Amino acid sequence: MVTVTIDGNQVQVAEGTNLIEAAGKVGIEVPTYCYHPGLTVVGQCRICFVEVEGMPRLVTACSTPVRDGMVVLTASERVKEARAAVMEFLLENHPLDCPVCDQAGECYLQDYSVEHGLDTTHMVDERRTYPGFERRLIGPHVVQNQNRCIHCTRCIRFTEEIAETADLTMKSRGNHSYIDTYDGTPLVNPWSACVADVCPVGALTTKEFRFRARVWHLEDTDSVCPGCSIGCNIRIGHFKGVVYRFVPRANAEVNGWWMCDHGRFLAESLNAREIEQPAALRNGEPQPIGWQQAVAELANLLHANRNARVVASANLSNEALYLAKRVFVDQLGLELLVPVDAGEPRAIKNGRREWVSSIDAHPNSTGARLMGLPLGDAAALESFVKSSTGPVIVLDAHAHPWLDSESAAKALARQEIVVFARSRTALTQRATLLLPSASWIETAGTYTSSTGRVQLAERGLYPRAGARAQWEVLALLGAALGAGTDPAATPRALFETMAAEVPAFAGMTFRRLSVEPGIPVLEEVSNVG
Amino acid sequence: MEPILLRARGEENSRSISTYLKLGGYSAMKRALISSPADVIEEVKKSGLRGRGGAGFPTGVKWGFIPKDSPKPKYLICNADESEPGTFKDREIIHVDPHMLIEGMIIASYAIAANVAYIYIRGEFVREAQYLEQAIAEAYKKRYLGRNILKTGYDLDIYVHRGAGAYICGEETALLESLEGKRGLPRLKPPFPAVVGAFGCPTIVNNVETLACVPHIIERGADWFAGIGRPRNTGPKLFCVSGHVDRPGVYELPLGVTFREIIEEHCGGMRGGRKLKAFIPGGSSAPPLPAELVDTGADFDSVAAAGSMLGSGGLIVMDETVDMVWALENLMKFYAHESCGQCTPCREGSDWALDVLRRIRRGHGRPEDMETLLRIARFASQGMTICPLGDAFCGPIEGFIKHFGHEFEAAIAKASPLPAKKLPVLPVRSGRGAFGI
Repeated sequence: MVTVTIDGNQVQVAEGTNLIEAAGKVGIEVPTYCYHPGLTVVGQCRICFVEVEGMPRLVTACSTPVRDGMVVLTASERVKEARAAVMEFLLENHPLDCPVCDQAGECYLQDYSVEHGLDTTHMVDERRTYPGFERRLIGPHVVQNQNRCIHCTRCIRFTEEIAETADLTMKSRGNHSYIDTYDGTPLVNPWSACVADVCPVGALTTKEFRFRARVWHLEDTDSVCPGCSIGCNIRIGHFKGVVYRFVPRANAEVNGWWMCDHGRFLAESLNAREIEQPAALRNGEPQPIGWQQAVAELANLLHANRNARVVASANLSNEALYLAKRVFVDQLGLELLVPVDAGEPRAIKNGRREWVSSIDAHPNSTGARLMGLPLGDAAALESFVKSSTGPVIVLDAHAHPWLDSESAAKALARQEIVVFARSRTALTQRATLLLPSASWIETAGTYTSSTGRVQLAERGLYPRAGARAQWEVLALLGAALGAGTDPAATPRALFETMAAEVPAFAGMTFRRLSVEPGIPVLEEVSNVG
Repeated sequence: MEPILLRARGEENSRSISTYLKLGGYSAMKRALISSPADVIEEVKKSGLRGRGGAGFPTGVKWGFIPKDSPKPKYLICNADESEPGTFKDREIIHVDPHMLIEGMIIASYAIAANVAYIYIRGEFVREAQYLEQAIAEAYKKRYLGRNILKTGYDLDIYVHRGAGAYICGEETALLESLEGKRGLPRLKPPFPAVVGAFGCPTIVNNVETLACVPHIIERGADWFAGIGRPRNTGPKLFCVSGHVDRPGVYELPLGVTFREIIEEHCGGMRGGRKLKAFIPGGSSAPPLPAELVDTGADFDSVAAAGSMLGSGGLIVMDETVDMVWALENLMKFYAHESCGQCTPCREGSDWALDVLRRIRRGHGRPEDMETLLRIARFASQGMTICPLGDAFCGPIEGFIKHFGHEFEAAIAKASPLPAKKLPVLPVRSGRGAFGI
């Protein structure tokens, strides 16, 4: 550890820390464009100049490691002057088309222009343009506007160092150099949209989010990606009940600063809502009913049929799975299976640049396993369903792709089925009881990732229409069936009860989860490397 | 002064190894290989040899920066990327006496314990690269290169690597990147190449002329070398004179000779008897000096004291007919074209300065333009950029305006305002108007 003084604040930091990180420790933001904590340092934007006592010239904070006893000034007159000059250089050729730029509102050129720039420019000549490069789809998801580019090369370094695909490159030289895909092939890699995240300006944006919302309207909810078992930390941007985008949230232990395109573009799917009211089949026709009646009917069904089977879901939160276990397995002694779909292999680099890979397509299969619930693949699920003699309760119609197949519909053609769902599937048509479930953002919950971390996804929206989260329904059901669950439980209370009971979660609290970057459960669960 | 570096100029077959041996070549190498590397470095330090590429850093001191205990291989790189406008001395050495360079490289490699050396030669020097290849082949045949040189147990291989035509690759770290097969972008320093250079190993990059001096220092002694020129500015120097003189060309003269002597005695005076207006003492990156300073000594320290730099020794002479705004615009065209585009002040500044100068030249200058140019020059130099290319174009801006500001003022005073740009008239759509109203 070395001690440095930054603007009069003493701070102890590890050796090798750069001045940007050290200043961040005492709450001083040094402006940066090309510097990104997850990428190599190139020191080429020159905005992060600071003054170090004893050095004749200003130094770039990104490329200067701390030395013991260093005295750093981040806001001296010299520094301010230099930053204003660099801002002027950067804006000299920038089109200043903020009113039609998607980055506006989260643009570092805007922010630092206000904070460090001049209020005018000495530039009177024509600005540089790149005809033909103003709105160019360079890959399936990324749109390039080279006129706005400030040549920080973050995107290039992302494709070289994180994606390891080196799709992007700088072509030509000097003031006319521009970002292009290597050999003119499209930017196709599983993480391609991250280049829009790292782009500090509006040069790279995603096709999916482009022009859909102004970012200052968006409300952000800290969450976890539902796309696979890795559990990338994300921020969900939503406005007036509509989800617009997922962006990665930094977590060095899980996803670094990144997320994959598959997960990112699940955002739109959160808006799907086809089933709005609980419905019961009356004379072959679904009739809307109230929730109280729905829970009562479900309780009756379970009372009458001790041979019912439960298909749970690895997409459910730890709390919901805990309640499912308590109500169905412990109280009623029913058979329960958590279907697990291997899905496509996914991987992401964590903050130490190690690959983290998925084990399946669900955000919480590890949680189900730690809870002691039986897991099964498609074949196990099929035989579990086909061999059932009584009603089948499907806690999540989207738990496994097989559930949406002809074969599932045929297998369940004769039984009474209770289905929790958001959209119509093969099963929802003839469900005895159809219960609208909440979407990912409509419930708070904890999920245990394949990296062995329990992470909290917060609620950003209230469930739309008559939807309820599964844990809420299960708590009511548990109370009705005498399982002793609190009908007014909250995820927080449920988590704490669960933490006291399930050894894997011992000692964890909701409060800790909301401030820490996830809490590791067991070393051997982690799937790094 | 007796020619030293250009001693073979005029000899028949001057490039061949037989001529070089006839003139006493490769004896310094033999002497160096039987003494210790430390002694060689000491001798070069004592000679006061300063780098001839432009920065004038003491060569022996530079060699001493190679970490002694590093287990990594070391590399010597000869910078033959001579791209500075107004400079053509390295080409002359390769044309006249490539073996002198090779002998210098063998001695330098031995001193820093390198077993591989590269000559990074500018891509446009096609013939010169061939001459070097020929000379290297001859040296291999004589066993001056390769395994176990002259049975001393020292191995050295020299490779010629041709650049692809970028000025920036003459900057030593950009050269290393280019040599490694990457885009030629200067690296952040520290670490310096002596510690982390080519392929991550300790590396020394020396100019052709610097290395060509080395055999003579070893052969004739540091004291002899230090006796040429002036204190702290020792040795012979090649001056490449271009511009409005009667006999432009490469002249070998001791450091410290005055520019007046170079122009008037050696180059036969100004062409057509016209008056000297200004001269650029050390390649286009050096700020120009006005005619009054023509008695300045042509050595590193005197030129620096006069407000410019000796740089590569590329002396560009301008007579009274030269329009200094044009001259600066011409230089700026070069720098804007050659800026690598990596760091902001240089990438944006060089092109911006060119835009301003172009506008002044087209008769649309503005009173605040000189201030803008000086502002660019102030904030794209002095450590604001990664490499010295920022200083290379800012020095001339400052120098031209300092000494010839009145010409810029005159050009601006005559200027008419830029005609307002005609905006295209958009067709009015019939039917629904804007915003669907």
